[in-house]
Amino acid sequence: MAVSFLVLALLPPAALDRFWRRRLSLFTVSDAPRAIVSLISFAGFTFLAAAGLFGSRDPLSNPLPLVVWTLLWAGFTLLQGVFGDLWSWLNPWYGPWRVAACVFGLQPGEAKPSRLPPWFGFWPAFALFFAFAWFELIDPAPDDPARLAFAAGIYWLACFVAMFIFGHDAWSKRGEFLTVFFSMVARFAPLERRDGRLSLCWPGAKLFAAEPLPPSGTAFLLLALSSVSFDGLSKTFFWLGLFDVNPLEYPGRTALIGIGSFGLVLTFVLLAAVFAFAVFLGQRLAGDAPSFAKAAGLLVWSIVPIALAYHIAHYLTVLLVDGQYALVAISDPFALGWNLFGTANRMVEAGVVAGAESAWWLWNLQAGVIIAGHVLAVLIAHGLAWRLHPQASRAALSQLPLTLLMIAYTIFGLWLLATPTAG
Amino acid sequence: MADKNGFFDLSKTTLSRRTALKGIAAGAGLALAPGFVRYSQAQSSAPIKIGFQSHRTGIGAAYGRWYEKTSAAAVKAINDAGGIGGRKVELVIEDDGTDPARGAEVVNKFAKQHKTDIVFGTLFSHVVIGSAPAAGENKIPYFVVSEGHHVASTKLNRYVFQPGITDVKSQIQSMAPWIAANAGKKVTQIFPDFAFGYDHRDYLPPALKAQGGDVIAQIAIPPTESSFTKYFPQIPAETEVIYHVMVGPAVLTFVKELGEFYGSQRPQLFGFIDSLEAVDINSPGLEFLDGSHFWEGSPRYAQPDDSAAQKAYRAAVGIDDNGAAVGDPKDVSTAAHMFGCWETLYVVKKAMEDAGYKGPEDRAKLVEATEALKEFAEGPEHPQGPKTFNGKIHQCFGIQNISKVEGGKLKVVHKTKIEDGLYEAEGDYTTQAL
Repeated sequence: MAVSFLVLALLPPAALDRFWRRRLSLFTVSDAPRAIVSLISFAGFTFLAAAGLFGSRDPLSNPLPLVVWTLLWAGFTLLQGVFGDLWSWLNPWYGPWRVAACVFGLQPGEAKPSRLPPWFGFWPAFALFFAFAWFELIDPAPDDPARLAFAAGIYWLACFVAMFIFGHDAWSKRGEFLTVFFSMVARFAPLERRDGRLSLCWPGAKLFAAEPLPPSGTAFLLLALSSVSFDGLSKTFFWLGLFDVNPLEYPGRTALIGIGSFGLVLTFVLLAAVFAFAVFLGQRLAGDAPSFAKAAGLLVWSIVPIALAYHIAHYLTVLLVDGQYALVAISDPFALGWNLFGTANRMVEAGVVAGAESAWWLWNLQAGVIIAGHVLAVLIAHGLAWRLHPQASRAALSQLPLTLLMIAYTIFGLWLLATPTAG
Repeated sequence: MADKNGFFDLSKTTLSRRTALKGIAAGAGLALAPGFVRYSQAQSSAPIKIGFQSHRTGIGAAYGRWYEKTSAAAVKAINDAGGIGGRKVELVIEDDGTDPARGAEVVNKFAKQHKTDIVFGTLFSHVVIGSAPAAGENKIPYFVVSEGHHVASTKLNRYVFQPGITDVKSQIQSMAPWIAANAGKKVTQIFPDFAFGYDHRDYLPPALKAQGGDVIAQIAIPPTESSFTKYFPQIPAETEVIYHVMVGPAVLTFVKELGEFYGSQRPQLFGFIDSLEAVDINSPGLEFLDGSHFWEGSPRYAQPDDSAAQKAYRAAVGIDDNGAAVGDPKDVSTAAHMFGCWETLYVVKKAMEDAGYKGPEDRAKLVEATEALKEFAEGPEHPQGPKTFNGKIHQCFGIQNISKVEGGKLKVVHKTKIEDGLYEAEGDYTTQAL
């Protein structure tokens, strides 16, 4: 595998660039119904939040935690990675904001400059993503339907207000963490919509055209990867052993709040430091360095396929089992005996992830996804490096440290899949 | 989900979770809108609300899933037969996350927010121990299905009961006569180095001694260990029986390495099915267990001499002859433990009816009525077998199964007597004020 990384890293970048630029034009898609779709999505969100407050107290029967954690966070991320930025249509803010803008006679466009200071960068989204990751991974009961309904409801309202203060586009692009995360993931998708026309491209090809991210954006992407990695790490015997926690007598999330918070920050700091060091070293090796911030901000886009691969590998089993619970729950959101979609009596097959045969398939699939993600990342980093260093030999040289980092991260990812974990 | 819980006819009668939980939404609505009261507890039409503290997430989730299925099936059976004292029963599920602190929070929610009549259900000992004080403070009866010795030790409080499953001390003690008589008298124990293993470390030696046997070595394995070969030379050569209770993801490695260490010449093996609960006994690497013996609370595999009650229970819960979910053969149940949910709910029914229970104001009467219970006959309400109940220590005593791994199945070769598991009471809850 390491050899394949090196071969890729040494490919001539010009040929690579030509390859990635290929597009297959499909058809035109109007975005006229965007507001309507978003309004429907908002109605669905309101309905789910109501179910969270008034439906079953069981997190595997109530549709809110299943839709938010399983369908949206674990599942929809994959759809973004495959079909592109569906979230720009489905997000539950755009429609209501358009309606409110009409009612209050506001300008829907970005005619006036945003009141979100440029130096804020992506830091609001970074802070909110951190809060989200903390809630998901460390809070004692993120699955509790009422608790989640309050959290999601307050978040929706706060963002809605922020969109009025700072402008819809500015807050969506730099403050609302889901939009920021999903739009970054969508850059990987093999579908591109430009000037209304949809075309097919190679996975990850859109990342080549990406503008360098500011340091806050770089940090955001690294946090997205480190938080999913930490979720895996935090359940390993290794991690729990470091703190003398017996994994066979797992003390529960409440007892691990301190350790978890520390670990969430630590994994981000470590990943950011190693990434920065690899970019810095690469710049030094190449010699003709553009600024460090620009190099880091551009090369960080190569993290997208890795983050997506980790996401798939990490949430695969959850998606397979809890996804079934979600299908059952959405048919009867208030536990009143409804059967809205005909799935209320569907049997949940938990055995789909049980047994030696399933374990073999799952492991190979997860490992394959992680390796593929890293190989693509090396390819993309290589192409981006060529934009920084037009001379091929220097571009290749600049990539050595980052390639080593990606090999190490692949090994880490495979180790996470194989090592004993609690629960 | 596998909620095909037809009581006697699996193909027709079905129960989905949403049916079992129907009405909970109304309960939640009431809790959030105190001004809107549809009916009061005093009215006889109001359902009995049982707060089900469930391991829906966390390390106990596999147990939680099956505890939920079993409880939903029992509630359906009880309701189909007229409910408790003519009132329907309704389960209100709250997830404890297999987290003691969250467990206590959930007990408080049941008492104060959902205003359930009792709290029922959970398994993991640390959650029971963490939640028990909240039950005592709220004076709400708390029926657990944990098999820990903590209830019977009388170190919890008067509101905590374990009437549907025997405790681990009794289970271990009742294994000793069969081990000494059939497997061997010189026993080496291998157990994980924490509380779960210590129960076995502490309770087996005196019980075995009383049967003329001896524990000749005790090998404690660190919980995070992933390779075991280095511990096996500590097993004395004269060992006749290896008594193993390893748990966690390394169990398969443990068995495989033990097999490699001994080859075909091995001592007798005796274990507790807790090691492999919800795990297919035919998983690769477990071949070495062929011919070995296990404790089982209730048998995982259907037995030729199963009673009609046992057959009806299995059909109602929805497990096939191999102890897996009907329609999902890879989803192996936690059969050795989950029967306790079924039986506990029937004990609650009996105690409530004895007490003439009307509502939360009768909780003290319910405690006393439960303490007054003496025995439960084997039958549809107690399909695992007959039991006695000691009201002073709030613990039931029953028979245990010893099963042999044979042809990829667990075959019951011995059923212990209730007396085998009796021990001196360590205290008396009934002296505590209500």
